[in-house]
Amino acid sequence: MAETLQNLLLGFSTALTPANLLYAFGGCLIGTMVGVLPGVGPLAGISLLLPTTFGLDPTGGLILLAGVYYGAMYGGSTTSILMRIPGEAASVMTCIDGYAMAQKGRAGAALFIAAVGSYVAGTASVIGLMFLAPPLARFALGFGPPEYFSLLILGLLVLGYMTGGSMVKNLAMVVLGLLIGMIGIDHMSGYFRFSYGVVALGDGIGVVPVAVGLFGIAEILATAGQAKRPEVIKPKLRDLLPSGEEFRDSVKPIGRGTVLGFLIGIIPGSAHIISTFVAYAIERRLSRHPEKFGKGAIEGVAGPESANNAASCGALVPMLALGVPTGPIPAVLLAALMVHGINPGPLFIKEQPVIFWGLIASMYLGNLVLLLLNLPMVGIFVNFLRIPYRILYPTILMFCVVGVYAVNTSYVDVAIMSIMGLLGYLLRKFDYETAPIVLGVVLASIIEMSFRQALAMSDGKYAIFIQRPISAVFLAAALIMILLGLRPLIQKGINRGWREHLTKAEKGE
Amino acid sequence: MRSRSWILILFLSAGILTGWPGISAGEYPTRPISLIAPFPPGGVADLTARPLAAALEPILKQPMPVVNKSGAGGAVGMQYVAVSKPDGYTLLLALSSISVMPEVDKLFGRPQTYKKEDFVPIALLNADPTVLTVRKDAPWNSVADFVADAKKRPGEIKYSSSGIYGTLHVAMEMFAHSAGIKLRHIPTQGGGPALTALLGGHVEAFAVGPSVIASQLKAGTVKVLGCWGAKRLASLPDIPTFKELGFKDVEFYIWAGMFAPKATPPEAVKILREATKKAANGPEFKNAMEKLNTPVYYLDGPDFQKFWDEDAARLAKAVRNIGKVQ
Amino acid sequence: MTIDRVSGFALLMIAGFVAVESRVLPLGTHSRPGAAYLPLVLAASLGVLALLILFKGRSALPFGKIKWTEGRHALAIMGACFFATFAIEPLGYRITLLLILFFLFGVVERMKVWWSLPLAFGLSFGSFFIFDTLLKVPLPRGGLGL
Repeated sequence: MAETLQNLLLGFSTALTPANLLYAFGGCLIGTMVGVLPGVGPLAGISLLLPTTFGLDPTGGLILLAGVYYGAMYGGSTTSILMRIPGEAASVMTCIDGYAMAQKGRAGAALFIAAVGSYVAGTASVIGLMFLAPPLARFALGFGPPEYFSLLILGLLVLGYMTGGSMVKNLAMVVLGLLIGMIGIDHMSGYFRFSYGVVALGDGIGVVPVAVGLFGIAEILATAGQAKRPEVIKPKLRDLLPSGEEFRDSVKPIGRGTVLGFLIGIIPGSAHIISTFVAYAIERRLSRHPEKFGKGAIEGVAGPESANNAASCGALVPMLALGVPTGPIPAVLLAALMVHGINPGPLFIKEQPVIFWGLIASMYLGNLVLLLLNLPMVGIFVNFLRIPYRILYPTILMFCVVGVYAVNTSYVDVAIMSIMGLLGYLLRKFDYETAPIVLGVVLASIIEMSFRQALAMSDGKYAIFIQRPISAVFLAAALIMILLGLRPLIQKGINRGWREHLTKAEKGE
Repeated sequence: MRSRSWILILFLSAGILTGWPGISAGEYPTRPISLIAPFPPGGVADLTARPLAAALEPILKQPMPVVNKSGAGGAVGMQYVAVSKPDGYTLLLALSSISVMPEVDKLFGRPQTYKKEDFVPIALLNADPTVLTVRKDAPWNSVADFVADAKKRPGEIKYSSSGIYGTLHVAMEMFAHSAGIKLRHIPTQGGGPALTALLGGHVEAFAVGPSVIASQLKAGTVKVLGCWGAKRLASLPDIPTFKELGFKDVEFYIWAGMFAPKATPPEAVKILREATKKAANGPEFKNAMEKLNTPVYYLDGPDFQKFWDEDAARLAKAVRNIGKVQ
Repeated sequence: MTIDRVSGFALLMIAGFVAVESRVLPLGTHSRPGAAYLPLVLAASLGVLALLILFKGRSALPFGKIKWTEGRHALAIMGACFFATFAIEPLGYRITLLLILFFLFGVVERMKVWWSLPLAFGLSFGSFFIFDTLLKVPLPRGGLGL
C-alpha cells in the first residue's frame, strides 16, 4: 500500500508538469469533440493523433492519446441525449432513455448525470487499475473462446428478455443483427459471404454506419415531417440540474454500472458495447418502476454511461499489465509506445514506472478535467435544442454523413447508413426495437469466431462449453434466464407474470 | 442579389484554381504524394510507413501523407493503388501478404482483386523472419522435440494465427508440410489475439515476427524454438534456422516494401528508387526501425523484384498445399 | 392484415433468402464448422421467430392504420441520403452537401433563398473546413477540386 502511494506521488509529479497537463487537457478536449461528432469515434481520433505523438516523449504521447480515448466516452453521450444519434457505438443505450428525457425537458439532468456517472466510473476504474492490474490481467487471460461464447450468449439472451416490447420481436431483431454481421469474409475459412463482389463489403458491415443509420437517420425520418415539435423553453438553472430524486435514483445504477463495466472491459477482445446493454438490462430488472424505461428513466442513462467509461478503463488493464492489446484502440496505444522503443510487456509496470504511474495520475486528472469541462457545457448544449427543427435536422444529416464517411473514407458506409436509416424508420412503424440489431452486428463475428475456435480447440466435442468452469457458469445463468422467461407461460391464470404487466402498462391499457 | 452571385463565382473559381490538379510544370514530384498503408493505424505497415514518409519528405521536397485504407486483410488498399492513376503520386506500402491474396482468390475460383503484376517494386524496407514461439513452461526445448511430439499425436498440438491464409498461418503450415506433421490451426482476429491465446494457454504455439514478442521474451513468459530465416537472427543468435535443421524449403519473412502502380513513368520510378535508397539507409529511419525491434533490410527495386518473385513462389506453393480448409 | 403479420412475413422471406444463399457455402464438420453453419442456424432461428410473430399477429395494429403523415418529408430526406452516397465522391463533399442542404432548406422546408443558400453554403464549406483542414480527415474533393 505504502509503495503504491509512493508510486502515485511519483505519478502525480509527472502528470502535473505543464507539458503533460497540456497534453491531458488537449487530449480530453479533442476526445470530447470526437465523441460528440457522430460516427467519428475514439479510434479515429487516436489514429489521427498517432503521428503527432511520434515527436513527443512517450509519457506525454500516451497521456494525450489516453485523454482522447476516455474523453470520447464523455462526449458520446451528448449527441445521444440531444439528438438520439450515438456519438459512438457504445452510446447506443444512452440514446433510448437520454433522448426521452430530453424530450420531456430533462436534457440538462440527463447530461449532468451522464457526466457525473462517467466521472465516478472513470475514477473508480483507475483505482481498480492501479491496485489490481496484474492479477486481474492474468485472470482475464483465462478467458478463451468457450468462455467468450457462453458470455456472449448470456448477454444476448439478457437483452432479448429485458428490453421493452415483445420478447419474440426483440429476439428476431437480435438474430437480424447477427445476420447482418455475417456479411463479409469469413475469417475462419476464407469464403466471402453475402458480399456479392463489392470489395468494401468484404470486411463486413461496420457498426458505426448501422448505429448512426438506425438511430440518427431513422429519428430524422420519423420526426422531420411532423406537424409541430414541442419547442424547448429557455431552461432555468434549476432545470439544468437533476432533482434530488433523480440524484438518489442514480447512485446505485452508477455503482453497478461501474463494477459491471470494469469487469467486462478487462476481458481481452470483448466488445465494450455489451457492458452498456447488460447494465441497461440489469437496471431495468432491478428497478421498482420498470415501465419508466424507454420513457426517460434516469437509471437508463446512469447505468450504461458508467459501464461505458469503466469498460474503456478496464480495457487498459491487460494492455498495461501484460503488453497484450485487447482491441484496436489499445493496439494503437501500444504502437504509440513501441515507436519510442518501449515495448510494454509483463515487466512494463516495473521497468517504466514513470510512464505507468504518470498515466494513472493523468487519468485521475483527466476525468476531473472532463467533469469540469462537461458540466458548464450542459447549459450550452441544452440551448442547442432550441434551434428550430427545420434548420436542425439537415444539419444533423450533414453531421451523420460526414461522420460516417470519415470512418473509412468510403461512400459504401454512407450507403449502409442510408439503408439502415430506412430500415429503422420502417421498424418503428412496425413496432420493433432497433437497439438489439446494433448489438447483433457488433457481436456477430466474435460469437461465430469464438464458437468455431472453441470447437476447433476441442476437435468437435461440444462438451467443451460445459467442461470449462467459467463457461459452464455463464451457460447455467443463460439457462436460468430462459426458464425465467418461460415462467409466465407456466404460471397461466391469475398471476400473468411481470413482463406482461409491463407491456400492458407501456401500451397504456 | 447581383453582388452575391459575384461572390459565388469568385468562390467557385478560387476552388477550381486551387484544387485543379497538374496545372504546374516541373520535375517530378511537383505536388504531395500519398503513401497508402492498407492496414489500420498502429499496425506494422503503418509503423513502417510513417517514419519512411517522414524521411522521404525532405529528400523529395514534397509532403507525403500516409493514408490508411484498411479492409479485407489489406485487399482494399492494394486494389485502390492497383487501379489508381499511374502518375507516381499514389504509392503503396505493403506487407508480404500482397503475394498471398491473389493466390487465395485463385484457390477459391474468384476474380482476383488485383494481381502481383499490377505493381512495380520500388524498395524493400525490412524483412523479419518469423520465429516459432511457445510458452516458457512448454515441454519442448528444441524443434526436434516439437516435431517428435507432433508425430506422436498428429493434429493435437494447437497453434494460433492472425487469420486464415494470413502470414502466421502460411508460415506455420509451410513448416508443418516440410516436417511432415499435422497441427491444429486456431485462427484469431489478428496478431494481438494470437499472442493472447498463447499466453492464456488456449493454444500451444505460434509463428510470429520477433518484434511482437520481444518484451515477452525479456520477461520470460515465452521461449523461441526455431527461426524461418535463411540466416540466424542478429537479435536471437542462439536460435537455429529451419534450413540448418534440415527443412530446406522452409523460409518465411514478414517484409514491408514500397510499390507503385505498374504503368508509372520510369523517370518517376527512378527518382523514387534513389530517394528511398537515401531515406531507408539514413539515420532517422534506421533509428525508428530499431526502436520497433525491426532492423532495416534494404533492397533496391530490381533486387527487390527478384526477392519478391522467389518469395511469392514459395508462398504460392504453401497456399496450394494448404488448399481449401474444409 | 396486421403489422405483425406483414413484418412476420417479411422476416420469414429474409430467413428463406439467407438459407438459399448459404447453400453455396460449405457446412463443414463438427470440429470445423463451415462458413454456412452459423448463417443457417440463424436463418432457422429467424424463421421460427418470424412464424411466431405471424401467428400471434392477430391482435396487433391493422396494417392500414399506420400513419405516414411525415412520409413526404421522409422521402425527401431518403432521397438526399442516397444522393449523398453516389455523389459525394464524383462531385466532392462540398458541392454534394451544398446541393443537399439547399434542397432541404429551400425546397422541402420552403425557406427563403437568402436564408437557405448562405446557410447551406456555410454549413457545407464550414464542416469541410473543420473536418478536412482542421481535423485532417480526408474528405473527397471530386472532379472540380471541390
